[in-house]
Amino acid sequence: MQRKITVLTDAELITCIVQKGNADKIVKAAYKAGAQGSTIHYAQGSGVREKLGIFGVAVEAEKEVIQLIVSSDQVDRIFDTMYLVGELDTPGKGFMYVTKLEKAATYIPQEILKKFGLDS
Amino acid sequence: MDKNKLRYGEFVREIQADHVYISYSDITNSSEQKSSKIKLRIIDVYRLVTPYISVRLLEQIYSLMPLALYLVIFQIFILRQELSGASAISVGLLAVIMGLMFFMEGIKQGLMPFGELIGNTLPKKVHLNLVLLIAFILGIGVTFAEPAIGALKTAGALVDVKTAPYLYLLLNDYASTLVLLVGGGVGLAAVLGTLRFIYSWSLKPFIYMSIIPTLVLTAYLMTDENLSVILGLAYDSGAVTTGPVTVPLVLALGIGIASAAGKGNNSLSGFGIVTLASVFPIFAVMLLGLFLSFNYSPQDIIELSLIASDIQTIQIPWYDKSPFVEMLLGIRAILPLVLFLFFVLKVILKEKLANSGIIIYGIVLAIFGMMIFNVGLTYGLAALGEQSGSLVAVAFSDVVLSNGQELEALYPYFLGLFVAVAFAWILGFGATLAEPALNALGITVENLTQGTFKKRTLMVAVSLGVGTGIAVGVLKIIFNIPIAYLLIPFYIIALIFTYFSDEKFVNIAWDSAGVTTGPITVPLVLAMGLGFGNAMNVTDGFGILSMASIGPIIAVLVTGLYVKKSQEK
Repeated sequence: MQRKITVLTDAELITCIVQKGNADKIVKAAYKAGAQGSTIHYAQGSGVREKLGIFGVAVEAEKEVIQLIVSSDQVDRIFDTMYLVGELDTPGKGFMYVTKLEKAATYIPQEILKKFGLDS
Repeated sequence: MDKNKLRYGEFVREIQADHVYISYSDITNSSEQKSSKIKLRIIDVYRLVTPYISVRLLEQIYSLMPLALYLVIFQIFILRQELSGASAISVGLLAVIMGLMFFMEGIKQGLMPFGELIGNTLPKKVHLNLVLLIAFILGIGVTFAEPAIGALKTAGALVDVKTAPYLYLLLNDYASTLVLLVGGGVGLAAVLGTLRFIYSWSLKPFIYMSIIPTLVLTAYLMTDENLSVILGLAYDSGAVTTGPVTVPLVLALGIGIASAAGKGNNSLSGFGIVTLASVFPIFAVMLLGLFLSFNYSPQDIIELSLIASDIQTIQIPWYDKSPFVEMLLGIRAILPLVLFLFFVLKVILKEKLANSGIIIYGIVLAIFGMMIFNVGLTYGLAALGEQSGSLVAVAFSDVVLSNGQELEALYPYFLGLFVAVAFAWILGFGATLAEPALNALGITVENLTQGTFKKRTLMVAVSLGVGTGIAVGVLKIIFNIPIAYLLIPFYIIALIFTYFSDEKFVNIAWDSAGVTTGPITVPLVLAMGLGFGNAMNVTDGFGILSMASIGPIIAVLVTGLYVKKSQEK
């Protein structure tokens, strides 16, 4: 029998770059708004520090990059929540963007597959 | 999609989001955005500055408060003594917290970029000999900038000239020479450590060659009654040097040089300098003591000090009065280092500093922080440490306090002795376990040994070592055991274990001693020992720190051997 992969469509990737130490509360808020999981990696950033003058010292050069994949129905809700919780309207607080994903795949519970008549 | 049907998700999207779209191209194309300064609203400043301050403030509070609370609670509940001068101590501790906060941030913003830039570019541009010379001078500079060095000078005020004349001379009239020599030791360590990186030499011969002469000199000084009291100071100063300024700056330079020589990939690169930087100063201080003993007799010193105190009672200039003297010390500590780094950068490297505004901010902050820290050191840490040190003695013996108050022993002798030693043990164990630098070392070690040496194992081993070391140090003061009787055997044991251990564990073990002695533990333990020593009428209360450095070395070496054994099975 041929092996089967269920591919998800309508998935979007939210990437949010914030100062080190801020990712935790943003991810928590995103979970509350419906996100299922997240990945955080560490990075070095530059740009806004130099433009802030003396306040630049308050901006960590070390960043946390949060990536989470959400369904396109949820994307705006989670995007807005993360923006507000992360206070991204303040300079130096971070940057975020959404990418449309062509396809995604992961574990999908059997009972959900059954609902769609896709169980093996 | 069917015309009459609307997906609920699409509907929610429409009613919820209030998004205004503009093109990023429009922003980047317009010319007015070229002026790169951003104007901040008040709320922006608030949002940026609050987390900036609170994170750094909490860091210092976490490292100081448990220790201070432990001392106070122990004093009130176990020793049943009130805290005298509580308000002055509280203000002092607050000053320590604020001072360290400013200082550490200042170092991070102001000095570290210097260090990294020099470390990365210097070895590529000039000859190795000049690089090593700069590393040497830098070693001296960072020693002056080390916050805990001030504690040695503060401790000098507590020494009685009649019972320990050479110790008094070293800590008062020759205090600057002492720091200079200690710095020279650190500088030499920086040079040899760097050479070790480049040629990948084993650390073991360095340990043998530095420890054995040190022990021989110790044994020689031990025979002279007047000189033996400086041994405690000598070994303690080794522990003082390896603090939050020296370690990162010297390491940055060393690793930079090694990687420029193409030898920076060794996983053990970072190790070894700390070890040597804590051994060479011991030797240097002993030499200075020996030198003084040739030039001064104990009587000379006592007379000198009497003359000096006569002059002082007549008139003390304003800059010699507390708190101004602490503030001046702060400036004197940082400025030479900054000027030297600046000189290297401008004259030798002809490099320009990016972000000079932020660097100036960092330097100003570091000096300011050092000034506050020094004031706090005198009124907070040293006062609290001395007080609890002198009161611990009450647990098992009758004590006459410095203000003439007589106190009777609280507990029966052996129980009291147990209380005092347990107090010291818990203090050392707890303070070490909470040290953030140890946590960082633990992670490095776990990675280095592919998980065979667990972070937890290392932290517990080091803490056990420090706790036991401090407890032994307290016993030393109680029974007035000459410090050499303890140090020589312990170091010989450490040498024997070193011989049988792997290179990896040798590096870790000898470095772990330096990690544990931060800017809070050092002044507190020093002052405690001196207060305790005075209460017990012992000539010198130094030596507790040195026991706290040798303790973890042995503990980690033993653990390393155990780990190796259990792997072979």
